[in-house]
Amino acid sequence: MSKLGVVSWGAYIPRYRIRTEEVSRIWGDDPLRIVDMYLVDEKSVEGIDEDAVTIAVEAARRAIRRGGIDPRRIGAVYVGTESKPYAVKPISSILIDALGLTNNVFAVDMEFACKAGSDGLVAAIGLVEAGRVEYGMTVGTDTSQGEPGEHLEYSASSGGVALIVGKDGVAAELEAMYAFVSDTPDFWRREGSPYPMHGEGFTGEPAYFRHVIGAAKGLMEKYGYKPSDFTYVVFHQPNGRFPVRAASMLNIPLDKVKPGIVVTHIGNTYNASALMGFAKVLDIAKPGDKILLVPFGSGAGSNAFVFTVTDVVKDRQKAGVPTVEEMLQDKILVDYAQYLKMRKMIKLFE
Amino acid sequence: MKHESVPIYWRNIPQYYRLVAKRCKKCGTIYFPPVAKCKCGSVELEDYELPREGRLLEYTVLYQVGTDFLKQKPLVLGLVELDGGVKVSGQIVDARPERLKPGVKVEVVFRRVVVDGKHGLVMYGYKFRPVERL
Amino acid sequence: MGRHYSKNIDDMAAAVLDKAIADAKADIEALYVASSTTELANKQQLLGVYILEALGLDGIPVYRVENGDGSGGSAVAAAYHALRAEEYNCVAVVGVDKPNDVLSNQQQDIYATTLDTYFERYFGFTPLSQAALMAKMYLKKYEYRYEDLAQWAVLMHNRGAANPYAYFRKPIKLEDAVNSEYVSEPLRLYDVGPLADGAAAAVLCNNRRDGVRILHVATATNPTPFNLRQDYDRLVSLEKAAEQAYTKAKIAPRDVATAEVHDSFSIFGILALEALGLARRGTAPLVVKEGNAPVNYSGGFKARGNILGATGVYQLVEVAWQLQGREFKRVDGSYGLVHSMGGVDKISTIVLMGL
Repeated sequence: MSKLGVVSWGAYIPRYRIRTEEVSRIWGDDPLRIVDMYLVDEKSVEGIDEDAVTIAVEAARRAIRRGGIDPRRIGAVYVGTESKPYAVKPISSILIDALGLTNNVFAVDMEFACKAGSDGLVAAIGLVEAGRVEYGMTVGTDTSQGEPGEHLEYSASSGGVALIVGKDGVAAELEAMYAFVSDTPDFWRREGSPYPMHGEGFTGEPAYFRHVIGAAKGLMEKYGYKPSDFTYVVFHQPNGRFPVRAASMLNIPLDKVKPGIVVTHIGNTYNASALMGFAKVLDIAKPGDKILLVPFGSGAGSNAFVFTVTDVVKDRQKAGVPTVEEMLQDKILVDYAQYLKMRKMIKLFE
Repeated sequence: MKHESVPIYWRNIPQYYRLVAKRCKKCGTIYFPPVAKCKCGSVELEDYELPREGRLLEYTVLYQVGTDFLKQKPLVLGLVELDGGVKVSGQIVDARPERLKPGVKVEVVFRRVVVDGKHGLVMYGYKFRPVERL
Repeated sequence: MGRHYSKNIDDMAAAVLDKAIADAKADIEALYVASSTTELANKQQLLGVYILEALGLDGIPVYRVENGDGSGGSAVAAAYHALRAEEYNCVAVVGVDKPNDVLSNQQQDIYATTLDTYFERYFGFTPLSQAALMAKMYLKKYEYRYEDLAQWAVLMHNRGAANPYAYFRKPIKLEDAVNSEYVSEPLRLYDVGPLADGAAAAVLCNNRRDGVRILHVATATNPTPFNLRQDYDRLVSLEKAAEQAYTKAKIAPRDVATAEVHDSFSIFGILALEALGLARRGTAPLVVKEGNAPVNYSGGFKARGNILGATGVYQLVEVAWQLQGREFKRVDGSYGLVHSMGGVDKISTIVLMGL
């Protein structure tokens, strides 16, 4: 069977940022303590005319441009998100017209908290591997919600990443994948509820760590990998502490994890979180590098993937498409009032 | 229940999403908005997606806005010359107006244009933003 | 004109039409109705029939003419052409609009329907924003400061002071205009003709010795989309209409003793002077500053008011009275013209009149 993998990637981070101390000023928290707890200095904020759909379109367009891919050869589109503008009406169908795909495309939106963008990756891999489609695309996109005055607000941010999977022009070959899922309600949002609920400490050991470690360890044991095999390791990043602790629990040196960390600058982009770290690493990876990617979604579950970077990555890096590092520097600060207005959190006449 | 016309939005999606213009096969003139007949007389017009980068020609900052934009004022509205020479008009976003000036490089972005209340459709379309943060 | 909250649109039109018919002592055989907002602000189609109803007038044909804020000029044109064809002996033209029946943001929504509804109005453009772009480019190209454009408002208010029917009848100082708030940068509050409720009517007849003659009516369009235009410092539709009218009537710009032009925004007043040959291209602000230009003795859209589709009929009456010395000081000359424009240089009508 011919090798398949990520042919191209694209990322989008809105320009606006709000600083932790600006949020803490409003809600009476000690900003130094918050930064120390979460290692989040700023988070990205979507503009008043942006949403999970517009972010998905931008990320997807960049992936297509980077790979020089004819959109009409894409046969599947998956969108993983937990901030859809509609409870019923897919983002994936909007992508079909926004990207100029044909009508013969398998398209669906997926939900598994922050993991769904990577579940779209699994699904795309399946169809491509079976030879049913030439290219499959997944997009993780969110303008994630955090209840004002509550700690999630410090990290819940906005961004999107698109990955295109195929057999032709592969920049990062898929070597292995594994999953670890259980019914663990660490964080959820009921239908109609504006903000999620979460279990504070319960989101740690029983949820994030159990499943991230479970997936990573399970993959390494099943396929015979050691930490030293990997050049980069990218975890889901709800804050700056969790991925570092996960690395130490797996005996993975910190310098392999650091290059993929984005949460300190932009917060937790939910479905784009781990994928954003993956994109950042792909922006600098060299042929032969091995990458372990472990997204996590509350509820709970983790996927684990191993990719080996090929020579093609050099062409992709030179394609003239904005890199994650460039986007991290491209920012305009806003205050809390502008933040509320842009995130459409102020009650207006309908 | 009253809501904005869906067909009016839907049939313009190729233009709103991908700036699909018409190009005359006979003389090469490009029309955006699209037309049915070229000034040269030909009716052989093909779809042509406009380039997505260009330069700002001029802009204004509008304070007296219509109902759909009351919560977004002021609107920065401008004329852009896309690569290849076709001019289009639209909103300029993600930029502080005092830093804009003619010649600034801009790119096409996909954004919300109008939201039909709490229950209606979210309508999207093209806008322009400076390539470099301004 | 102004805010007539207590009158319905058909009643306002009927009242003024009644006066015009009495003044002309004529039997009208058809009614031409100019209105830009009757459907969108007042939810009334077939307005003309309801006007007949209000006056107990019987059975005559009614024609509703819409060309945006140029409806007035177009209604006059339609009436003129019917009379020239000797379809009728006497007809009436009535213009009426009531923008103040809706809120200011709704007024902008309605005005914006004169733009391309899919590619301009949808994205938030309004006529003001396009005028602002043209003003900005004009000021840069000919190296004027904003103060030079503001002279238009000063002149208009001076002239409006002498018009008993004007909305604003007090002169202003240049500082008032220059310090007013931005509405669409660089245009400020004093660059915009205020939207006003109003109605005007005129009776046009063949074979009458009294009154003022209509020598010719010319209409021209400029259907190029705003974004594709070559020049933003010209009113192309007006240039075309003016050339037709001057040629047909065999008169030259210097023969024009009074011109009522479509200054919905100050920059259009400036550009109209140039398009009509009353100022060389790029020099109109200087001509305006001198204070003698034979333009908008009514105070124009700025001081008399912008009654949208009805304005063209107001302008017709104003020019007639200025030539006759009625309600206005008599102008020095025998020829006058009306410039009525729809949208942002989409269509212009020139009505050439003479004693």
